[in-house]
Amino acid sequence: MSATTLEYKGSDQYRVDMRWLQRALEQDLSSKEASKSPLQLGSEQVQVGDIFTINGKLSVSELTLQNSASTLDYVGTGLASGRALFVEGDCGHYLGHQLGGGRLVCNGSALHYAGCNMQSGSIEIMSDAGDYVGGSVPGNKRGMAGGRLLIHGNSGDFTGDLMRRGLLMVAGNIGNHCANRMIAGTITSMGSVGENAGNGMRRGTLLCPSKPASLATGFNDCGRHSLGFLTLLMRDIRKPESAFQALHPMRRRVQRYLGDASVDGQGEILIWIG
Amino acid sequence: MNINGVFIEDTFAEAFPMRATRVIITGINYKWARHAAETMTGFATSVIGCKVEAGIERELGNHETPDGRPGIAVLLFATDRKTLEAQLQARIGQCVLTCPTTAVFAGLEGEGQIALGKNLRYFGDGYQTSKQVDNHRYWRIPVMDGEFLCEETTGYQTAIGGGNLLVFARSLSQVLLACEAAIDAMSMLPNIILPFPGGGVRSGSKVGSKYKTLNASTNHPYCPTLKGLPDNVLDKNVEAVMEIVIDGLNVEDLTLAMRRGIEAICDLGKAQGIEKITGGNYGGKLGPHHFHLREIMGGDKT
Repeated sequence: MSATTLEYKGSDQYRVDMRWLQRALEQDLSSKEASKSPLQLGSEQVQVGDIFTINGKLSVSELTLQNSASTLDYVGTGLASGRALFVEGDCGHYLGHQLGGGRLVCNGSALHYAGCNMQSGSIEIMSDAGDYVGGSVPGNKRGMAGGRLLIHGNSGDFTGDLMRRGLLMVAGNIGNHCANRMIAGTITSMGSVGENAGNGMRRGTLLCPSKPASLATGFNDCGRHSLGFLTLLMRDIRKPESAFQALHPMRRRVQRYLGDASVDGQGEILIWIG
Repeated sequence: MNINGVFIEDTFAEAFPMRATRVIITGINYKWARHAAETMTGFATSVIGCKVEAGIERELGNHETPDGRPGIAVLLFATDRKTLEAQLQARIGQCVLTCPTTAVFAGLEGEGQIALGKNLRYFGDGYQTSKQVDNHRYWRIPVMDGEFLCEETTGYQTAIGGGNLLVFARSLSQVLLACEAAIDAMSMLPNIILPFPGGGVRSGSKVGSKYKTLNASTNHPYCPTLKGLPDNVLDKNVEAVMEIVIDGLNVEDLTLAMRRGIEAICDLGKAQGIEKITGGNYGGKLGPHHFHLREIMGGDKT
């Protein structure tokens, strides 16, 4: 079955809400029906077909979004298990919001809230991502709840805010306030981590090669340890093709910091040593 | 049927359904993994007195274990799921959690799941943390050598217990030699254990006793010191009988194990004092699995 392409032919003048695609897939609409779906563009209401060209059936498992731009928000929202969406170009905010088991690959960069509230599945961003990666939309109490979010570039501030479960991998650097209010799950980086890491962290793991620029004040130094679970985690981390494959599969020695004590938390910040 | 002069009796070994699980114990080296495995499979010879039958299945290389360390695969068999779960937890808690450097993982997908670290985690007194990796949940319990890592659950499946062989020989040393050869051959196989000490049983039992409080007693028809008494079935030239009990995950594995065992015994043959091989059964009343010895060895069952 050949992949279906959706080509964006609009301008950068307005932001586009891509949740029309989620509705089309859930309602099993034909390409023709989807093209006639209403779409709000600024103050004007248009049809999807006015700014997208759909080639092929939407019922196929693989879709490709061509000519994507950073004005396209909510790309891949709720993408269900068994479906894959390949994005050629950049994406706007809320990439992979509430992802439901599907596979989402963006070969550009994404703006804020990428992978927020994702439930399961995988998101791969070939370049950078903005703030609140794997976080939660304002008002929700829990962020990313499962799956794998892999960023080959850098991520912004508040990476993993309120993260509940899953694996968040950043091959580059992470901004400030990483693992803020983190509930559980794993964040790992191959680069640096900014200021105030782990603030309000309750559980979960932040695993990185060097100590963050600063830790939240409620962290205690627990010393150096060889932790067995890291071997299991390493197998998962090294699965996709990424910079993380440079890590030795049996690496397990870390400096451990436990906190944030200000919220009676038992989150951990682990720094590779040895 | 005679193989190398050894008479294979036209009978069957009677086995019964059980529930089984496998766990993988790893350690910093084989020495410590084996300490834990041997301890947790101790006092686990028969469900009659021990509630569970357990044994070491085999050693696992670094590449075969979840955490890449040397490991030991252990199989446990019990009459029902509840007992299996209770025994597993008690034994992991007392024998593996306590053993330096070890970790324990599920070793079976199975028909269902039973608790492994699910309840043990409370030993962590609130300092335990869980980590979900690749759809498996693990518990990390702080202990004095670092962390005890254990998987939350392991699988269990329907299995078979009580497969057996009875070997008759002209002397004790000859029956021991034959059984050791059979045990060595069977121990090479996966998915089975020989739960008795060293794999052999000298105290074969019969159902019932003259004493009302006992539901099993010595199998006096097979005791050589009682030869000549009315119930005794031993020939004059038989001086010792030994039993090998086998538990397996399925019929095929158990059948293969019995075949390899019989072959190893018959390789020694009558020249080495082996007179006969038979199987223990209760007339088909104990269990639905009947392993006909002659059929196993390629002959016809009658």
